[in-house]
Order: sequence, then C-alpha cells, then structure tokens
Amino acid sequence: MPERLNYWGIPHTWGKPELYVYTIMFLAAAIMLFRFYRQASPWWRIGRSEPRWDKLHLRVWRVIQYAIIQTRVLRQRYPGLMHVAIAWSFFVFFLGTALATVHDHFFEFLYGNTLVIYKFTLDVFTIIFIIGAGMAIYRRYAQKPERLTLEPGFTWTLSLIVIIVLGGLGTESLRLAVERPDWGAWSPAGWLLAQLWISTGASETTLTNWHLGIWIFHLLTVAVTLITLPTGTLLHTLTGPLNAFFSKLDRPMGALAPAAETAEGKPIFVSKLSDLTWKQLLDGDACTECGRCQDACPAFGAGTPLSPKKLILSLRDALHHNGGQPNLVGEAIPEEVLWSCTTCGACIQECPVLIEHIDTIVDLRRTMVIEGMIDAELQDALTNLGRYGNSFGQSERMRARWSKEIEPKVKDAGKEAVEYLWFVGDYASYSPTLTEITQRTAEVFQKIGLDFGIMYKGENHAGNDVRRVGEEGLFEMLVEKNVKAMSRCDYQSIVTTDPHTYNTLKNEYPPNGEQPVLHYSELLDQLIASGKLKLSNKLGYKVTYHDPCYLGRYNGVYDAPRRVIEATGCEIVEMPRNRDCALCCGAGGGRIWMEEGEVNERPSESRIREAVQLKGVTDFIVACPKDITMYRDAVKTTGEENNLVIKDLIELVYEAL
Amino acid sequence: MAKIVAIVKMVPDLVEELEINEAGTGLDRDWLRLIINEFDNHAIEQAILLKERDAGEVTVIAPDAEGVEDMLFTTAAKGADRMIKLAGDLEEGANNHALARAFAEAAKPYQPDLILTGVQANDDLDGPVGPLVAEYLGMPYVGYISGVTIEGNKAIVRKEYPGGLIGEMEVTLPAVLGIQAGEEPPRYVAISKVRQMMKTAEIDEQEISELNPNGGVIAKRMYLPEAAKRAEMIEGDEEEIAAKLVAIFKKAGAL
Ligand code: SF4
Ligand code: SF4
Repeated sequence: MPERLNYWGIPHTWGKPELYVYTIMFLAAAIMLFRFYRQASPWWRIGRSEPRWDKLHLRVWRVIQYAIIQTRVLRQRYPGLMHVAIAWSFFVFFLGTALATVHDHFFEFLYGNTLVIYKFTLDVFTIIFIIGAGMAIYRRYAQKPERLTLEPGFTWTLSLIVIIVLGGLGTESLRLAVERPDWGAWSPAGWLLAQLWISTGASETTLTNWHLGIWIFHLLTVAVTLITLPTGTLLHTLTGPLNAFFSKLDRPMGALAPAAETAEGKPIFVSKLSDLTWKQLLDGDACTECGRCQDACPAFGAGTPLSPKKLILSLRDALHHNGGQPNLVGEAIPEEVLWSCTTCGACIQECPVLIEHIDTIVDLRRTMVIEGMIDAELQDALTNLGRYGNSFGQSERMRARWSKEIEPKVKDAGKEAVEYLWFVGDYASYSPTLTEITQRTAEVFQKIGLDFGIMYKGENHAGNDVRRVGEEGLFEMLVEKNVKAMSRCDYQSIVTTDPHTYNTLKNEYPPNGEQPVLHYSELLDQLIASGKLKLSNKLGYKVTYHDPCYLGRYNGVYDAPRRVIEATGCEIVEMPRNRDCALCCGAGGGRIWMEEGEVNERPSESRIREAVQLKGVTDFIVACPKDITMYRDAVKTTGEENNLVIKDLIELVYEAL
Repeated sequence: MAKIVAIVKMVPDLVEELEINEAGTGLDRDWLRLIINEFDNHAIEQAILLKERDAGEVTVIAPDAEGVEDMLFTTAAKGADRMIKLAGDLEEGANNHALARAFAEAAKPYQPDLILTGVQANDDLDGPVGPLVAEYLGMPYVGYISGVTIEGNKAIVRKEYPGGLIGEMEVTLPAVLGIQAGEEPPRYVAISKVRQMMKTAEIDEQEISELNPNGGVIAKRMYLPEAAKRAEMIEGDEEEIAAKLVAIFKKAGAL
C-alpha cells in the first residue's frame, strides 16, 4: 500500500529532523512578521483612523473573490492565466504542506489511494506552476509590455519561487528514483525526472546524498523567501488580500465621501501623509505594480503626466522615504498629474487589489482648490457655477431658452404636477451645439405622450464634476439649491440625459424617497418593453455604441441603451473596448473646464480611430450630451467626418418613431 | 505695516439684458443683477498681495447693494481684515460724486497709507471714483496701475500706457491708486471658505451721513443703442469705388 515516508533519506544520526525544520521555519516566520510589522506600522502610526471592520462576511467574501479566486486578475487572459498558474499552485503547495503536517502529527490519513491522489495533485500543480513561471519569464524579459517596469526585486522573487518549486520536484524525483514504488507514475513530473536520474546509473547512496543536499537547500530557500517577503515583490501576497478585505463597502463607486473632519469639525485638506487615512496608505503598499490601471487610463494614453500606477507608487515612496513627510501636492505628486484625471474609473475597475485611486485624487484636488491652485479656465467655470449655477456664465433665465420653440410649451414642474421631472443639465441646456438634440428629446417625449416637466430657471448644475474637481463647498451649495427646487415639484421619477447628473442625483443627493432617477436610455427601454413606445421604422444602420463612464462603469447601465438601439432596427458592432472596458471621452471629472495641456492624442480621437476600424459602421451612438461635443470635435480633428456620424441615442429613436 | 483701504462697488452684471426705467433716465433697477466691478476686484487682489508680501491691514469699503455681503465675505476669505458696508438711501443708486464723498468720510478714520480702487466701472457716468476720493481727501492720485510696491512712505507704481508702454513712478503716501490690473489675476476662493466667513466674520455697517451728489452729471435720457441705418455696400472696381467714395464724402461735407 502506498505509504508516506516522513523525512525520507535524512540520516538517522540527525535525531529528529522535524525539530530543525520547525525551528528554521519558526524563526523565518518570526523575522518575516517582524519585518512586515515594520513595513505596515506606518499605516496606522501615520495615517488617520477610519473604521473598516464592519460587514465582516462581505469582507471575507471579497478576499475569496479577489485574492483567492482572483476574478480581477483573470479579466486579462495572458497575465491572468500566468498569475493564477503561479498563485493557485502555491495555494495547493501550502495546503499540501499543511496536510502533511496534520498527517505527521495529528491524524494519519495519507496512505493508500488518498496518498496517490495527494501526490498526483501536487505534481500536476508543479507542472502548472512551471508553465506559469515560464509565461512570467517570457512576459517580463521578452514581451516587456510598457506597463511593467522591471525591478531587480522581481527577478529575485521569481528566481526564489522557481528554485523552491524545482527543489521540491528535485527531492521528490530523487526519492522516486531510489524507492521506485509501483504507483510512482502518479507523480508524472517527478517520475519523468526520476527516469533521468536512474538513467545516469548513479548509486542509491549518491542519489540519497543529492536528495539530502537539495532538501536542505529547498528548506533554506523557503526561509530566505519568507524573510525577504515584506520588502520585495511578494509583499503583495499579504497586502493584496488585506486591501481587498478593507476595501470600501459603505458607498457605491458613484458616491464620493465629503472631506473628513477633525475632532473640532474642521474639514481636513490633505497635504501630508498624516492627513490620509491608514487605508489610503495601505493602498500604496498593496500596489502590485501590475500596471493594469495605467493601460486602461485615458489620461496616460493621451500622453499626460498621469499614470495611476505611478501615482499610487508615489504614495508608497513618500511613506517609506526617510526624513520627514514630503508635501503630497506639488512635491510627491505634481499638480498636473492630479488635474489630468478624468475620474473615468477605469483604474478602479481594473485594479486587482481594489485600490481606490479616485478618492485620493479628489482628496488632493480639494487641497488645491482650497489653496486656490487652479488654472484660469477652471476658475472661470467655478466662478460661473457659483454665481449663475452653470459653467457657461449665462443667466439662469436663459437655461430653458432651447424650449421656446417647443409646442405645446414644456410644463414647469415647479407649478404643475408631472410624472417625470426632466433634469436637463448644463450642456443640454446651454450649449448651442446641443440645442437641437435637447429639442428632439422634448419632441420624442411629447410624441410618446409622456407627462413631463422641467424646472426652468430653478435648475442648477447638478454638481457631479464640481465635486470631482474638488470644490466640495460649491457642490454642497448646488445640491442645496437643487434639492430646494426639486422639493417644490410634484413628480414621480426623475429623468436626465446626462450620465454625470444621473450619477450624482442617484448616488450623492439626499435620498428622495421612492422617486427613482432614470437615465433616458433606461426610460426609453422601459417604455419600449411596456409597449408604450412603438418604433415603426427599422433603420437598418450598422452602428457602434460608446458607453459613458458615469452610466456604464459607475452605474452598470450597459444593456438599456443597447436594447433601445436594437429596437430602432440598427445592428450594433462593438468596439474592442466596450462596456466596462470602454475608453473615456476625456471630458469627465471637470476636465472639460480645464486647460487641455499637452497631449499626444486626445482620448476622444483615440476612440474615433477605434470606431472607424469597425467594418461597415456608419454611426457612432452616444448617450451623453458632453459626448456629442467631444466626438463631433474629434471626428473633425481626426479627419473622419465623412466616415462616421456622431449621433445621440434620441436622434435614432426620433428617426425610428 | 501699511494700512490699505480698498474701495469697491457693485455694478450691473451684463449677463442680463439691461432695461431702461420708466422715466427713461436710468437703468431699471428692478431687473438689475449686480456683480463686483471687475477692476475693483483687481484692486482687492492687489491689496491682499501687498498684505501678503509686506504685512499690512486691509479694509474693504463698499456701498450697500444686492449681493454686497456675499462679495464682502468673499474678500474676507481672501484675507481682508475689515469689511465695511456703507448704508444709506441707495435704492436708486448714487452717482460717483456722492459715493466718493461717502468713501472718503468712511476711509478717513483708518488713516490709510494707500487707497486702492478700480480705475473705472461700467456705471461711471460722472467719472471714476478714484480721483474724486483723492480730491476729497487731498491725496495724490495715479490711475491705470498694474503693479504696486511699498517702500517706506513711498509707493513705486507701474502704470500702463496705450501701445504697450510701461512707466514706473514714485508716489508719496498716502495716495489713491486706480487699479487697472492686479499683479496676479483675482484668486479663486473656495465656497466653503466663504461660507466659513459668513459664520465667523463680521461686516461693519456704517450709515452714510449725507449723500451729496453735487458736481455729478444729470442724465436726461438713457436709451439702448438704436439700430444703425442700413449699411450700403459700395461695389465696383477700385476706380469706381474711389469715385463713389469721393462723391459720398463731398455730399457729407467732409471734402
Ligand atoms: S480615473 Fe481614469 S483618468 Fe483618472 S487615473 Fe483612473 S483611469 Fe486615469
Ligand atoms: S494600482 Fe492596482 S492596477 Fe495599478 S499597478 Fe497597482 S495594483 Fe496594478
């Protein structure tokens, strides 16, 4: 019967080999923990406290989902498979070692078929590991993608873990070569290697001595790996799961928290590390430097100085830098880096360890706003927003001017009860290029027989991007004004065409009871489903659809607009970057109000170039007023005006009515 | 430590369409929306910059008007030390002569070294405020200033002339300066700071003893620009056009 041989090949004169093993491992683990403590203690020594211990079951589930199953890592095929091949193998090796310890000291169960299955599993994962490690070597040293920076620490770590696994394989194969059990082939990799040893004709004693040497070496490598873990690439094996465990659960992605306050109730403006929370500092140490965020970042792609990866690593550097805390704004992180972010959320969507980039970026922007460190264009926009409630610097009396030609007159929701309160938004209200589309929207609503109204001059900018620019006080003021205006209206649901407005109304405004906030794509989708909206023309265009960040990634609305497009009889051809991978148009987070700075290729231009690659696609459909502005510009600057028409969803619906 | 007074006022905001009052002699104040005079805003910025650079004390004086308190709290958030609102019979507005007398009276007790004000405003019917204040206080006045440095009892000022010429001159203090542009554009103050000021800062309200408009102009008729007569396009080749022009000039008595 297959039987497990403890400490096979260790000379009897050694007495109890387990004593050596446990002593060495215990020491290594103690040193590792001590060094980890030294690495980690600045989080709570420097960082502000913030409770993140609630909802333990959800937190544990996040660890399982993101650190063990690694769903985020698996979003990308090659690096995903590579990583899980290595990580899951190690999980299995740990489990194997733990089971062996149980068997040795507590409860013997590794014999017979169980042992064969045990051996087989470990061996298969050894092969899987070798494949994963091979992929990693190829990726780092041959493929060399831009997002990865090759740190010497990485080579060291990869070498260590490869040596560990090869050491395990080596001892196992030598043992098989000497013992030659009849079930040996159930450890296929070990068995194959054993055949090699056998073929050399070496004596059993030689093989046993080799085994002893490799065994000791294996043991020491494991110890060294443990000891160096807290300062090397492998640190992420501790901080990654911790970061997933402590990731935010108190609010949806679309809701920012107001600035934290001191005990005296004064807002904290982050200028030093000690103004950040311990979790924000943990973010820095949790970064695996995988660069996925950087790859997805529209600001980085455009050639701005922002890389979300570098930004997070700057926090890490600042934390472990000797001698005083640097100023975060300007010193550790340049101002333009912080202003380049469109708050598109792609970095957050991609980060395998759930780092919260945008919260930190907005915290630092708040500091710049309070210090008046903002560019002239943004200053104008904010001044206008404060004064007139819109960034265009026009009178609020002009807000509904687009509606003058609409017959019958659009109801004033402040005066009569309506079913749908249409929150029009700044761009749709004031931008001359959008007047026609806003009018179309009203006409479609009227043709469907929708009972709707607007707030006329009572509406103010909703504030989504004001908040993301870091002007929290102005955001609060706008919310107050809008809430007051809305409370005077009698309505059942709010509808808006603007995803930014949608996001803040839905996630950041005080809860408005039972009245849902709908994006017009959701409303149209509902009306089509209920048969209230019948589209008689089948348009038959081949189109592509651009997911707005604040509709898609932020609020998960991907299907409603697609269903509406299909209902108009158009065929959707997806761009390679679609749904939660959609590229941002570059306007969000207040970027539309700022000086552009130097860019190589605007995100909107990159997007248009992506769309024109699609065979036969004639129309580029958007569901956000700002997108119309951004992309109508971009088709011109890329010279694709004749190849692609930028259309709002409502224009398709209007045509199909 | 220099004592600086900034004299500012609210003027009609041109984002709204202006309407003429029933008498046809002025703006219809019911429809007016007021905003700080852009040049005064620069004067405030210059005052704050001087304070930040050389230490000093900044007092801002403004006549009562809709929105004046928000404006004063904003200047407090920028760093002004004292805010004074001049109250009086200002509903129908007051001309610059009356305002300048009130400003001079209000500024006097502070014994200012320097009075800064916008070089002009869009509602200056009777000349800018600055020279009038200087006159009533017996101080020198320099206008169109875009930079100030205080050195002892003198100020070195940068004055811009048309055509891009820049002059530097020395003025003995106390003096009144008409600011064309601050050394930096007016800064942005976060709303939360302004709101904080609304809770903590106080505006000193002072009654104007007498509004004396003497010396100002009286508007007989105020009206919106009337559409000009239709333009006439002169067509033809160079010779013909020249000949036609000569004929027109002759007819108009210009030749
Ligand atoms: S939110 Fe978007 S723009 Fe900002 S850092 Fe992340 S990926 Fe880049
Ligand atoms: S922040 Fe996240 S996605 Fe970006 S490099 Fe670090 S671990 Fe990777």
